[in-house]
Amino acid sequence: MDSKLTRRNFLKGVGTAVVLAGTGAPQLKLLKSGKAQENSVKPIFVRSTCSPNDTGACGYVARVDDGRISTLIQAADYPEEDYNPRGCLKGLSFINLIYGKDRLKYPLIRTGPRGSGEFRKASWDEALDYTAGKLKEIANKYGPEAIGVTVQVAGTGFVQKGALVGLTKLASWTIHHGYDQNGDLPMFWPMTFGVQSEELESLEWLNSRYTMVFGSNMLQTRLPDVKQLIKSKNKGKLVVIDPDYCITASRADEWVSLKADTDAALALGMSKIIIDKKLYDEQFLQDFTDMPILVREDTGKRLLAKDVKELSGKARTMEIPAYRELFVFHNENKFAILNPESLQSTNAELKGEYTVELTDGSSVKVKTVFEKLIEQLKDYTPGRVSAITGVPEEQIRRIAVEAATNGPLHLVYGASNYQWYHGDLKGRAIALIGILTGNFGKSGAGISTLAGQYRIRSDVTKWWYPKEGKLNWVPYLHFLKGKGKTTPYGKFPESGIKAMISGWGNPFDQHNMANILRDRATSGELEFILTMDFSMTTSAQWSDVIFPVPTWYEKFDITATVLHPYLQLQQPAIKPLFETRTELWIVRELAKRLDLPVDHFYPELGENEAAVKATELLLETGGFETRNITFDMVKKGPVRLHSRAPNDRQIPFYEQIHDRVPFPPRSYPVPLEATAQFLKSGRIELYKDEELFIEEGEQLPVYKETFLETEYKQDPASREKYPLHYITKNSLYRVHSTHSNNPWLNELQGDMPKVYLNAEEAKLRSIEHGDMVEIYNNRGKVQGQAVIDPGSLKGSCYFYQGWWSRYLGGGSYNSLIEPWIKPLHEIYFVPGIWSPTTAWNECLVNVRKVNKS
Amino acid sequence: MNKRRKYSLIIAFAIMLAGLFTYGYQLREGLIVTDMSNLFPWGLYVSALAFFVGNAAGGLVLSASVYMFGITKLKPFAKIGALTAFANVTAAMLIVIPDIGQPLRLWHILRYPQFSSPLAWDVFVLSAYAVLTIVYLYILMLPDLKGPGMKELSEKLAKRIAPIALVFAIGIHVVTAWIFSTQMGREWWFTAALAPDFLAVAVFVGTTVVLMASVLLYGIKDQYKEGYSILVKIITAMFFVHLFLMYNDFFIKAWYGAESATHVFNILMDSILIHIFEVLAPLLAIILLNSKVRNSVSGVVVSGVILMAGVFAHRFLIMPPAFNAIPLTIKPLGFIDTYWSYPIATGRYVEGVSTIADYWNYSPTWVEFTLLSGVIAYMYFVVALGVSILPVKKED
Amino acid sequence: MRRGWVIDLEKCIGCRSCAVACKQHNAQPPGNWWATVETPGSKYHLTMPEQGRGYFLPVTCQHCKNAPCVKVCPVEATYKDKDGMVLVDFERCIGCRYCMSACPYGVRQFNWEDPKKTLGKLEYVENYSYGYPLNHRKEHNGVNRLVYMKTRFKGVVEKCVFCVHYYDNEGLDPACVRGCPGHARFVGDLEDPNSTVSQLIRDNEAFTLIPEKGTEPSCFYLPPSRKKKHMTEV
Repeated sequence: MDSKLTRRNFLKGVGTAVVLAGTGAPQLKLLKSGKAQENSVKPIFVRSTCSPNDTGACGYVARVDDGRISTLIQAADYPEEDYNPRGCLKGLSFINLIYGKDRLKYPLIRTGPRGSGEFRKASWDEALDYTAGKLKEIANKYGPEAIGVTVQVAGTGFVQKGALVGLTKLASWTIHHGYDQNGDLPMFWPMTFGVQSEELESLEWLNSRYTMVFGSNMLQTRLPDVKQLIKSKNKGKLVVIDPDYCITASRADEWVSLKADTDAALALGMSKIIIDKKLYDEQFLQDFTDMPILVREDTGKRLLAKDVKELSGKARTMEIPAYRELFVFHNENKFAILNPESLQSTNAELKGEYTVELTDGSSVKVKTVFEKLIEQLKDYTPGRVSAITGVPEEQIRRIAVEAATNGPLHLVYGASNYQWYHGDLKGRAIALIGILTGNFGKSGAGISTLAGQYRIRSDVTKWWYPKEGKLNWVPYLHFLKGKGKTTPYGKFPESGIKAMISGWGNPFDQHNMANILRDRATSGELEFILTMDFSMTTSAQWSDVIFPVPTWYEKFDITATVLHPYLQLQQPAIKPLFETRTELWIVRELAKRLDLPVDHFYPELGENEAAVKATELLLETGGFETRNITFDMVKKGPVRLHSRAPNDRQIPFYEQIHDRVPFPPRSYPVPLEATAQFLKSGRIELYKDEELFIEEGEQLPVYKETFLETEYKQDPASREKYPLHYITKNSLYRVHSTHSNNPWLNELQGDMPKVYLNAEEAKLRSIEHGDMVEIYNNRGKVQGQAVIDPGSLKGSCYFYQGWWSRYLGGGSYNSLIEPWIKPLHEIYFVPGIWSPTTAWNECLVNVRKVNKS
Repeated sequence: MNKRRKYSLIIAFAIMLAGLFTYGYQLREGLIVTDMSNLFPWGLYVSALAFFVGNAAGGLVLSASVYMFGITKLKPFAKIGALTAFANVTAAMLIVIPDIGQPLRLWHILRYPQFSSPLAWDVFVLSAYAVLTIVYLYILMLPDLKGPGMKELSEKLAKRIAPIALVFAIGIHVVTAWIFSTQMGREWWFTAALAPDFLAVAVFVGTTVVLMASVLLYGIKDQYKEGYSILVKIITAMFFVHLFLMYNDFFIKAWYGAESATHVFNILMDSILIHIFEVLAPLLAIILLNSKVRNSVSGVVVSGVILMAGVFAHRFLIMPPAFNAIPLTIKPLGFIDTYWSYPIATGRYVEGVSTIADYWNYSPTWVEFTLLSGVIAYMYFVVALGVSILPVKKED
Repeated sequence: MRRGWVIDLEKCIGCRSCAVACKQHNAQPPGNWWATVETPGSKYHLTMPEQGRGYFLPVTCQHCKNAPCVKVCPVEATYKDKDGMVLVDFERCIGCRYCMSACPYGVRQFNWEDPKKTLGKLEYVENYSYGYPLNHRKEHNGVNRLVYMKTRFKGVVEKCVFCVHYYDNEGLDPACVRGCPGHARFVGDLEDPNSTVSQLIRDNEAFTLIPEKGTEPSCFYLPPSRKKKHMTEV
């Protein structure tokens, strides 16, 4: 039996059905009664895109019988067979959320106290009028910036999410970037590469010959793509660096077990070996990095051409954009200006110490960045690194050599690894391995981070940003912790945020200051809370008004996310259930009631037609990436976005390396200036010389001991009182907190939250598998059933995040976590890119047995 | 009919009714009201099947003894033997009905019998045995019903039927044992010793049932003492044969020490008290029956009850070590001496309770106990009513 | 024709998407799972039994050649189809659960109560229910057998039907195969030496589960690869 053939035949059928269904889906009869008559109507098949916040964006086909979805299965219609089938157990069980008991059906207005879950059913008119009235009142009283809006994971729905951004701009409200709220920004990206984030599309993983995964449990968190990781072992080697023998480590060719949060030391130790053995790519370092740039010994800053006597004249004549700077390098016995707008070969000397005469007549000693790096790496001998990390010297030496000599090298840096106080330093150290070996801009080479990838794939500004109004960006942590050091993108509301509008998220469980949110909701400091969702989440329960919305099988939208570069449609397989209405419609109705211009939202069209129109606009104005891609093409199936690399492959920095275009590439939707300011040299920058970097001694990546600046500083006694690391991992069974109420998936995890403990730690506390235990520290506590995890490292304790409060007796696993802000993350503010983020894993706890409740 | 028997019949009838109503409840709710699960698909009902089948062996012992081996001292008990056999074999068939998920489809066994299924054979031999016992009883009662002139015919027919009945009598134990012992997946059952052991148990417990009934019916009179003594000898001998067969099997399994056997014994250890009881209770009963206690009606009855309780414990223990030793127990690839059992979805959903398990601590529910009580009451009712309205007692 | 599976344990990532795809498409009520995936040696799925060792093992009906469940069924409700699939006729099954006891793989499940009632515990909106909606009948020895139905009867045994409804009606692979993001499952004809499954079995030292029970499963497993790769000598 040839399964390919049958699949193709099947899809042919699907295709026709989609065409039949298409925009005409509303014609479908919605059965109001539960008594579906079997066989009465021919089934139709509609392709949509599963679009939760995991950015998987997997194509699914819904089989619809009598207006109800009977089954969902992966569409498996990607042109590259290796991408098929995309989708996992969550997408396959999504019907439990579409038709589940927590499905929101009608607009609701709160009747009981906040958080009580007492609501009354309201008509749309009433709920919209009420909401508009409240918002007007608050805007009049405190200014429009007192209304804060969050939009999550734009890539999984540019149309509906963009509509809310548009309204926010029209109303000049405050907007919190979703990824600021999530606090999972891999900050080494903007620091080193000037981008929000990057990754190799998973098909490119197959071209890597050496893959190093630094603390990413990809087998659990990147389900649709991980087959490529496993397949890459056929031609290459997979090394997993993880404190724990996690499931990803179980599939590796080699597992490197290191002490938690010591990856920076390991990466620096490896870098030292690579340099000592002269295994680095000299040409790459000369042309594409800041390694040849001279650094002043007196100030620690990079030498500016305008300060150098022999170069200042020329420097004045060179025209460069405001976000660039002219630095100096040395070659052929003279100093020269490094042109930040060109990556042409300079033959710059990588090593060297010089004395240079400045314009004021004084002399100063300078050294290349590379020289400084070598100096810094002196401390990272295999012996010392082995002592810090617990990795045997032999293994450090061997994998360093293997990585340097078996390109293309793919480095994966996982979120549970970078969500530490010094996560940025670790990222910079790991990036160093790729930089030294020149593993960028080619097939199979590069760094991938697999969370916090906000980077939007094409230009969305035409739909997102209507002409009128302005967006007032405020980092989420500043909303909750108070005004931070810098908010250049907006005005911090004087009286704080008074109204919250959120969709696609569940901050009352998921934010690590959820307790503050609850306090403010209870005290009335938050005067109005509006949630748009399809499920009665904890956040919905805490809201004043709930607008019920359709799922991605009930409306139109377009997606383009990470790891597989496809534009795909969400399409209605069924009519919106009950009285749900799309976000676009809600936004339009609110705009009307707030006396804002509505032209932007196609007021003349029905909500589906308007969404299609917005999709067309996004495709037309998406820039290079969506060039020549039309709605009809996307309607037929997934369409690959364009990239600068051959065959439109997603290869980070291909253009920079291959075509020698200065760094950084643009990170949509912010303009290039916003991110290019991070790389004033136009090159990959390992050396940072902003004041605070120098003050912290973090000009170059360095290993810093965990908890010294956080837990131990706040409470020195925590060293003894709370001996366990507390890691809140992503579960196989949830997308953050989505699917927390999915009965099948809960069945698969024993229908109860679990606490994972190292066997020795459990024994020490007389805890056995299956006991009820409590994780606690001086900030909070959470309970679960103990799972003894023999693969986990001593000194650790895990909890899979995402359980709704109702499964935790009203508690929250986030109550234990302190929202540390690393000051370096506040020296710039570009929403979702350089912004205060959250060190979720920088947390110490203890565990004790409790009685079964 | 004496008053005590009358009351006991009324009580038995009430218990039967309770069982019937409980069955109605179970029919409505489904077998969810039992404590069985996908891991533990058979429980008290099937244990009770084995128990009643064993009890039904009395008829065999008596007919064989009297009409094939000529032990005439036992002749007075032949009818009661047939009656208890009938009551028990029908009870065995009755207790299976509540175990059936779709009882209205039971006729499928007649319509679509599958030749290879020991359960299909069992239905056949049990039915045949039930018919034979009732026919046999009728033949033995012929002189009482139709006059002494029928005595010769009765004797002749009884002699002819005895060997046929013997085949079916052995058949019900062997085939019932085969239901279990053909299952290669269940280490606890997969032994050639099971069928002979079932037979041994049946003979001593079936004989005990006849002994108890006879003592109750005839009392301890001198002319019966020798007969009782023979019955006790049979019970004693067959109990030790059973012990031998059981421990012989244990010994062989334990001696080889394969993991699968160790697994089973470990699970047996969870029910070790029941195991001790299944050995010591009949042993105690046998000691008592071989002593002066045999000379009192209540002594014999109490001993008999103790023995039957022990045998019931034995029948109950058919299940836990079989089902909790999950057949899909493997040594995971790459492990040196770890064995691991593949967990099973229980089929029972309760929010907040895991539905995937590798052990099922089966404890029968009130529904199962009530239904079982109903069938025990039925068995008593048939016997008690039989001796009351039929000429079972040999009036000399 | 002998329909069979190959499951590549190297590619299995333990995600249980097969289990969920099966649950959904074949409408299993809460508490029943025709297909499961576990971590051998571990008390809890996805925790590795010890440092340095571990893999995942999906198990569903093995569609054995010498299927004990088929032989013990007193009414031939469970039977072997001409294509090698072990099927259950939901109309004929009397619910004696003999097959559940006899199956060494623990894959047979029972409807301990009316599945509608079990489903009711999940409180779907408007009595929603999921799964392939149509009954599927298949001729066997001259009798039309009901081998798939969305809402099974109370008191009958159910198990993996090898997605016979998809196979017969649309020529599709089973839901677990189509739903496996690891691309770890393959279906085909074990009697055809050139089929993908036969080749995979031949080339990869495939094994079956508890072969000592003599069931001759039609489900073959490819071992997880464990070759050590040192790419350079130091």
